[in-house]
Amino acid sequence: MGLVVSVKKAVKGFTLDVSWQIGNELAVLFGFSGSGKSLTLQLIAGLLKPDSGVISASGKTYFDSSLHINAPPQQRSLGYVFQDLALFPHMTVKQNILFGAKGVPKCETTERYREMIDAFYLNDLEKKRPSEISGGQKQRVAFARALLRRPDVLLLDEPFSALDTPLRIEMRTFLKALRSTFQVPVVLVTHDASEAATLADSIIVYSEGSVIQSGTTADVFGSPKDERVERLLMGMSL
Amino acid sequence: MDSSALFSIQLSLMVAVVSTFFIIVIGIPLAYLLARKNFLGKEVLDILLTLPLVLPPTVTGYYLIVAFGRNGFIGRYLYEWMDWTVMFTWYAAVLASFVVALPLMIKTGRAALEAVDGNLINAAYTLGHSNWETALRVTLPLAKRGLLAGVVLSFARALGEFGATLMLAGNIPGKTATMPLVIYSLAASGDWSEATLMVVLLTLMAGIFLYLANRYSKTIF
Amino acid sequence: MKKIIVIVFLSLFTAVALFGIVAAEPPKELTVSAAISLKNAFEELGKLYEVKHAGTKVLFNFGASGDLARQIEGGAPVDVFASAAQKDMDDIAAKGYILPGSRVDFVKNVIVLITPKSSVVKSFMALASDSVKRIAAGNPKTVPAGRYAAEVFDYYKITGPIKDKLVYAENVRQVLDYVARGEVDAGVVYATDAAVRSAETRIAAEAPEASHKPVVYPIAVVKGTKSESAANSFIDIVRSKEGSAILKKYGFRIP
Repeated sequence: MGLVVSVKKAVKGFTLDVSWQIGNELAVLFGFSGSGKSLTLQLIAGLLKPDSGVISASGKTYFDSSLHINAPPQQRSLGYVFQDLALFPHMTVKQNILFGAKGVPKCETTERYREMIDAFYLNDLEKKRPSEISGGQKQRVAFARALLRRPDVLLLDEPFSALDTPLRIEMRTFLKALRSTFQVPVVLVTHDASEAATLADSIIVYSEGSVIQSGTTADVFGSPKDERVERLLMGMSL
Repeated sequence: MDSSALFSIQLSLMVAVVSTFFIIVIGIPLAYLLARKNFLGKEVLDILLTLPLVLPPTVTGYYLIVAFGRNGFIGRYLYEWMDWTVMFTWYAAVLASFVVALPLMIKTGRAALEAVDGNLINAAYTLGHSNWETALRVTLPLAKRGLLAGVVLSFARALGEFGATLMLAGNIPGKTATMPLVIYSLAASGDWSEATLMVVLLTLMAGIFLYLANRYSKTIF
Repeated sequence: MKKIIVIVFLSLFTAVALFGIVAAEPPKELTVSAAISLKNAFEELGKLYEVKHAGTKVLFNFGASGDLARQIEGGAPVDVFASAAQKDMDDIAAKGYILPGSRVDFVKNVIVLITPKSSVVKSFMALASDSVKRIAAGNPKTVPAGRYAAEVFDYYKITGPIKDKLVYAENVRQVLDYVARGEVDAGVVYATDAAVRSAETRIAAEAPEASHKPVVYPIAVVKGTKSESAANSFIDIVRSKEGSAILKKYGFRIP
């Protein structure tokens, strides 16, 4: 189990050049907006292609520029929760979650689906449309959908940024519980220092396309390497 | 009403239905390609497909003859191999309607498909669904409204098509004269009351179709 | 979803197949492209032909002479072409699309000046006066009658004075309609057209033969026809005594 990421990509006016790896933990990619955190997630997912580098999860190589390997997103065992959740508006909650059942053996699908509904407290909402449920409920549906396939890694792109504070705090608890139920490595992108502080097992600090510090939460918060890190820790919302 | 006028009602419906069928089958994939894929010459293709919208229909008809007439660069092979030409057959009326109405489907369809949230498509990919599956289960359903609007516009255009049909299919009562052509002939020979009757009928047909299309769109959306 | 697709396909193919049967071709067909001004006369001539040559159906393709010529050049399966002007026949003859020996002038038409019933305009010259505000004529570029009208105007030397009063129509029946409805004060059409709306229009004057090229309609067999003898028979019918009577009935003169 684990995720290895070492990629370079040049985009408009900016070059991403990062190299890190995580084990079975919740790692936070932390930094200002525009520092390349979401871009890294998109590269890991295969939605964009790095210029060079290697990406592998649980020992499976998804991308290796020297070996000309580039697996399409469909073939990568990943769960992705988008910033705006990306729930399909024309499908019910049940259909949305079942859309995540691709590749799951038919006999197991119903069982897993029920598991998700129970684990995420979605029991009365199965027939509703995304437009008819609350923000917190939408979150849970997005997670359920992403986890149905039991992916090797869970990628979360600022999933709580659209929520108000009480809900955000609730979701942090939810995510922690999720980690203990579903033992899956999580990469969480956020620019919220308190979120990082609460949730992260390890923090990878991004600035202008590079990693300027990484380590456990205690390490990073306790001994920020330079003033950029300090600014990040101080400047963001609590 | 004489037999050729009656025949023209049947013919107009057939031509409109068949050409709209091909517009759906060929136009929606083309609109999808233009909306969501990038390839060399994409905008040139878009312009070529939109041309019939801006050309006078008689000019479009003339180009169709240049392509599909017995001496045409496509038609000549059909004639050599099968001793058959499309000109002056009802298939020509279908072809003419198809060509002039296709741009409406493509423009409307392309806009509707481009408007689909890219994140939703990406989400489908990350959940393991192929490009094809995603197109069928996510992209196209989300563009339903716009696609239906395109179909409605195309059908209406096909029903009223005149200039290109006149050139390629000819104005042959009882064989290729659709309702618009019959109205033209009746007006030209001074048969105003008959012409008016046909105009009223054509308007009614278009009106009923539009009404049904609106009702249907309310139930599926 | 899949069910709907299957149903749509099935009904489509059934409809097309049925329609193919309904529109099945009769044993023999003759396709005649004729200028739209010949519509009424030719429809009768067609029925006459079918009576005399039972088993052959005459299909008419009516349109503007210029469009009809373009179709023939494009390889349209036409057997006989009857044009409202020498020019369009000359065009396709020069390119070798007709059987030269078959070409013959079959009717003459007279150019007339018409006005709404209540008008008192008496001549072409009167068109230059101030009481005449709008004059309808065919577009000389595409409508033969428009070309003749232009010639008549030149003959009477009124082209300049009436230039701003001219309203161009894309076919001669439209000119007739404008006059019949009183949208214009006068129009130039063929005598045959005036006959069709005689209730609402009056003939103010006839253009003398000297004022324009003769309005002689040619008819010919199209090269590549698969029914040469039937085509020739049709032309014979047109030029026969009975045929001439029909044409005269609609206001044509025999050359």
